[in-house]
Amino acid sequence: MRTGPPPSFASDSRPLAGSTHTNVQTNMTSTTTSRRAIPRTKSSYAKRDRRLAVILLLPAGITILLVMIIPLGFAFYTSFFNYSLGQEGNMAFVFLDNYVKFFTDPVALRSLLNTVIFTILSLAFCITIGVGISVLLRSLKPRTANVMRAIFAMPVLISPIIVSLIWRYMYDPTYGIVYFVLDHLGLGSFGGLTDSTTALFCIVITDVWHATPFIILVASAGLTVIPEELYEAARLDGASAPRMLFNITLPLMTKVLVVLILIRGTDAFRVFDLIYGLTGGGPANSTTSLSIYAYKQAFENNQMGFAMAASIVTLLCLIILFGPFLRNSAREKDA
Amino acid sequence: MKKKFRPGAIAKWAVLIIFTFWTVVPIAIIIMNSFKKAKDIFTSSPTLFFTPTLDNYVNAFTKADFGLYYLNSTIVAFVSTAVVIIVGTFAAYALTSFQMKGANTIAGGFLVAKLVPVISMLLPLFVIINTIGLRGTLGGPIIAHIALNLPFVVWLMMGFLRDVPTELQQAAMIDGATRMQAFWRVLFPVVLPGIAAAFILSMQYSWNELLFSLQLTDLDTYTLPVGIASFTGSVSVDWGLSSAAATATMVPIIILGFFVQRYIAEGTTGGAVKG
Repeated sequence: MRTGPPPSFASDSRPLAGSTHTNVQTNMTSTTTSRRAIPRTKSSYAKRDRRLAVILLLPAGITILLVMIIPLGFAFYTSFFNYSLGQEGNMAFVFLDNYVKFFTDPVALRSLLNTVIFTILSLAFCITIGVGISVLLRSLKPRTANVMRAIFAMPVLISPIIVSLIWRYMYDPTYGIVYFVLDHLGLGSFGGLTDSTTALFCIVITDVWHATPFIILVASAGLTVIPEELYEAARLDGASAPRMLFNITLPLMTKVLVVLILIRGTDAFRVFDLIYGLTGGGPANSTTSLSIYAYKQAFENNQMGFAMAASIVTLLCLIILFGPFLRNSAREKDA
Repeated sequence: MKKKFRPGAIAKWAVLIIFTFWTVVPIAIIIMNSFKKAKDIFTSSPTLFFTPTLDNYVNAFTKADFGLYYLNSTIVAFVSTAVVIIVGTFAAYALTSFQMKGANTIAGGFLVAKLVPVISMLLPLFVIINTIGLRGTLGGPIIAHIALNLPFVVWLMMGFLRDVPTELQQAAMIDGATRMQAFWRVLFPVVLPGIAAAFILSMQYSWNELLFSLQLTDLDTYTLPVGIASFTGSVSVDWGLSSAAATATMVPIIILGFFVQRYIAEGTTGGAVKG
């Protein structure tokens, strides 16, 4: 278990081999010779060493190149063409037409709006509930907390398509437990998944069920690095629980929260499986996300070029929305 | 505990108990449905007591091709995970134990790769895989899952490898071992539990992944999530059968997940937190 402050995203408290900044922790716990790198004796040895490192990295690099970079380049290139599947030899260059079409299509804009609403709502609920539960768990005996956390973590291990199956049953107007409970509370007229005003919210609830455990796992790990003495000192000063939450816990969790917003936010932004399983994008496109929209354009309307443009728009929106968080967490590692 | 804290303690436990119900009830409902006859599933108030039956499981394996999907998913998960573990562990070794310029940047690149929307990768990859004739084979999802899991495994293994004291490797190399000998004799045995955790979590992701498998497979190569999607896609859902399929799919992964869930945080957040 680490004792220092939580290290930042995309870096680690210990310097990687070859990095220039020194690290107090490492230097204090080990002698000067025991840096990460093995001391070089001969330059030919170092050369061989470097070659070996490249060879070890090569398979991973080739995989990322073949399965991510080249396909993304292909998607970008073909988004300027009109073509259908299997007709790649018969592409018509239309330049930006697909993008113009996207931003003038009401359904496309609706799916963009749906995705943004879904992401904001899901993030807000997941982080509030997840961090709240983690803070409560921290106040328990470690043994009890571990058992409860193990139970709470279960949904995150379940396939999203099974999650959508489970909740489709729960939301069933005739047999579902959601209506069973709502009826008893006198709220039986709830539209659920079949009403275009409530369907998206129902999917948010399902996503919160599925993804909050992930927040609990990460936030709990983040909380373990906050020294207990801080709370003891605050308690001696007569600080209330909410004050300790806002003045100790949350400020010290900032980095973890930024990482959570980045990872959970991008995850919510590309939502596909849950919507595919629960509503398929309906009713009346009220739950169509960008991923669902691009998917339908490709595999139902067979407009591959347009679908590529939609998927590139999805990627660009994600970069615009979450780029600042990525920059932020990358910058913190130098601080 | 002082007396004045008690209302807080009651509220705390109330929240935790409600959250336990919120987490467990949906899972319990679907598991119970899988052992119910149709007449017990289709009731307007939930039935807690019923005569259990295995009919739904029998139907899933005989009427539906559930056994085949199970086999397909096992093959895809095992092969893609085996490749990811080998490729990812060596990459993590290169990034942690060698004096390499740009190691930080490369490691960060893996993390950014994880944030790319799946749909942006699927569409072009689908066209490419369709063109080279791999569509409908298990090769499609295997390739896709390798790419999807690689960043996670690299980061998780980097964390484990960094935790091994440098002195161990140095001592072996002073004794005349080469880099790779030092890796196999010294590092590998120490990080073996970490490799096991990475293996299970990578399997879990592959086992659960829908979108790539949905488009890259055909009836003979459906994986479990695609099979389950096909059970529920139609207008009327056979709840008994799909509940049985869902239970048989999720229970093994939940049980395995109990042992490794604390590593999920570390592998996903790029070492920002340690489980």
